[in-house]
Amino acid sequence: MRMAKVAILSAGWVLASVAAHAHHAFATEFDVERPVALEGKVTKVELINPHSWIHVEVIDEDGESTVWMIEGGSPNALVRRGITKASIPIGAELIVNGYQARDGSYKAVGRDILFSDGTALFFQGTQVPE
Amino acid sequence: MRGATSTRIIGIALALGAAATARAEVLTEMPRATDGRPDLSGVWQALNTAHWNLEPHVSEYPVLLELGAQFAVPPGHGVVEGGSIPYLPDALTERDRRFSNRLEEDPEVMCYLGGVPRSTYMPYPFQILQSPDDVIIYYQFATGVRRIFIDGEQEAPLDSWNGWSNARWDGDTLEVEVTGFNGLTWLDRAGNYASENATVTERYTPLGPNHMQYEATIDDPTVFSRPWTISMPLYRIVDEDFRVLEFKCEPYAEEKIYGHLRKPGTEPPEGATLR
Amino acid sequence: MKFPIQHSQSLASAGVIAGALIATPFIAQAQSAADANPRTPWGAPDIAGVYAEYTTAPLQRSEEYGNREFLTDDEFAELERRRLRPLEINLETTTTPGTAADVHYNFDQFALSANEGFSSPNRRTSIVTMPSNGRIPPALPEAAERRESLQAYRRGREFDGPEYRSLTERCIMWSSTLPPILPGGYNSNLQIFQSPGHVMIQGEMGDPRVIPTDGRDLPDNLLPQWNGTSVGRWEGETLVVETTGFRPETAWRGASDQLHVTERFTRIDHDTLEYAFTVVDPETWAEPWGGVYPLTEMADGVLFEYACTEGNYGMANILSGARAGEREASGN
Repeated sequence: MRMAKVAILSAGWVLASVAAHAHHAFATEFDVERPVALEGKVTKVELINPHSWIHVEVIDEDGESTVWMIEGGSPNALVRRGITKASIPIGAELIVNGYQARDGSYKAVGRDILFSDGTALFFQGTQVPE
Repeated sequence: MRGATSTRIIGIALALGAAATARAEVLTEMPRATDGRPDLSGVWQALNTAHWNLEPHVSEYPVLLELGAQFAVPPGHGVVEGGSIPYLPDALTERDRRFSNRLEEDPEVMCYLGGVPRSTYMPYPFQILQSPDDVIIYYQFATGVRRIFIDGEQEAPLDSWNGWSNARWDGDTLEVEVTGFNGLTWLDRAGNYASENATVTERYTPLGPNHMQYEATIDDPTVFSRPWTISMPLYRIVDEDFRVLEFKCEPYAEEKIYGHLRKPGTEPPEGATLR
Repeated sequence: MKFPIQHSQSLASAGVIAGALIATPFIAQAQSAADANPRTPWGAPDIAGVYAEYTTAPLQRSEEYGNREFLTDDEFAELERRRLRPLEINLETTTTPGTAADVHYNFDQFALSANEGFSSPNRRTSIVTMPSNGRIPPALPEAAERRESLQAYRRGREFDGPEYRSLTERCIMWSSTLPPILPGGYNSNLQIFQSPGHVMIQGEMGDPRVIPTDGRDLPDNLLPQWNGTSVGRWEGETLVVETTGFRPETAWRGASDQLHVTERFTRIDHDTLEYAFTVVDPETWAEPWGGVYPLTEMADGVLFEYACTEGNYGMANILSGARAGEREASGN
């Protein structure tokens, strides 16, 4: 699959447009009063529509394990960037900043998702740490 | 009710098939496309009980007794070559578990895409559009659409419900290899299934102007002891100006999927399709 | 029924009007006639492909432009400078932590901001070209009343059940994939597929429209459909599609079930189709309105399956969040 024939672009008006047309208002799903910062290992990757979900196992200070589901965006444009289901290996360590679900379950919107070495998920040139 | 209506349409289609009185053009063989290949374009439908159960089956009670005879399972000879599906022992147990929990787990109940091969023999019409490079199949159920790349060699970038279809012409047969499944689809209402590891090889072979044979070989070593094949004829719907109407079933599954999250003491609004 | 589109909507004429030193946006280079008018093996104009809908023109014209249809050379140059600026990978939030706007995934991360470069240049000050102020006419009082009565019904019940949420949240419809097709926020791509006697148009997030082009008319007794019923015909190089017979629930921009849409698809160069549309609904707008913008072909483009209701965990989370909020409020 060839990438876009036009140069890669960035413009503020598109962002505004995206916000106006998002699939749903995330603030109705997640609680702005519950920011979370998580670190853990990927256990499952759902690159699905309308939104992706990445499952991350987080071990707390007491050794208790909790699997969090992290919500992201539609994967269709990622396919055109060359992302495949192999792009997030099971076991990869992620750092997630986001907001927890309003119902208090272990779900969060992933405001930013990084590999543990600080590289951003889904960007070309991103290296998964060995 | 939907099934009954569809069957009636096919019945009419079959009755008219020989005479085709209303049509200016009487087909005597499958039309040819500009590239000389059979032109499979048209609206097609299976006419059997494979959607209830791929294997031979006698009639059965409906999933809920209050549905009575209207939704009872009609009997059928089955479409599996050799009769039964060669499950591995654990997979057979899983099939039976799914059957007993079908009202909660069958993706059809939730209006999810039918997948391949199930979409082919759901009791609804589908339309094939064909060009030399691609074939499009538009399935009425859940308004599903599938692109088949002729001579394509791409792998699926991500797993999906309908998988990723690369095809080639084998004489007059269109042979489609489908991979990249997400493993969430079922094969029928009886709990039969394959996993995300399946490769499905479909063969569409013209039998005459208004029929073709459909075969699908399912190879999934994680579920079956060997590859196995289903085979059935497909019938062209010959009604003049027939259109595949929308069957957007999402609203009809909302109570099923989200009803337990409804505000206590409230009911779905009448019509249930507010904007 | 035919609904003519004003000639002034033609993109090709835009270049002539605008004149200018900068190459006109829709006729990029000289090319052979054969290349400009490719044909399918069965002789129809070939407009098949996967196209991006994004363009730099907004749907409605900013009032500062008045009746001016095109940007000046300087304005266009500035817009192009911004459009062609390389994407800066920006993981710094542009929203303020602790605000509702910040409760979202990062668009850049998921390749959804600026849509990775599929925006077409556009000298127009708006997609809407009719009426001449480039703005959608105000809704008739009866249409405003329809909308208000629906909103009144929903008020206070917004989170009671899935039926009160938007058609988009319910994975039923996207306004960007209906006829008329308008660029939406993301995944605003479409495939046009041609076979003898049919054209299929499918939005990346929406339902396919299988459109006969074999000379038949719209059926006399239309059954209402979410996407309406379409029929097409070729006028020279242009595919003209007429669509009507919508379900009242579709209510595109508040339209009634009397909505009639005429669309015109014309190849204007190797990579570009001109898409023009006219909307008529006497129960919603006093006058027809319409617009035009380019569709940009994505080389070897593929639409990926958009199975929405299948993965719509968000709906469950929204409703369960509302239930949790109610329990909290009642002190249970």
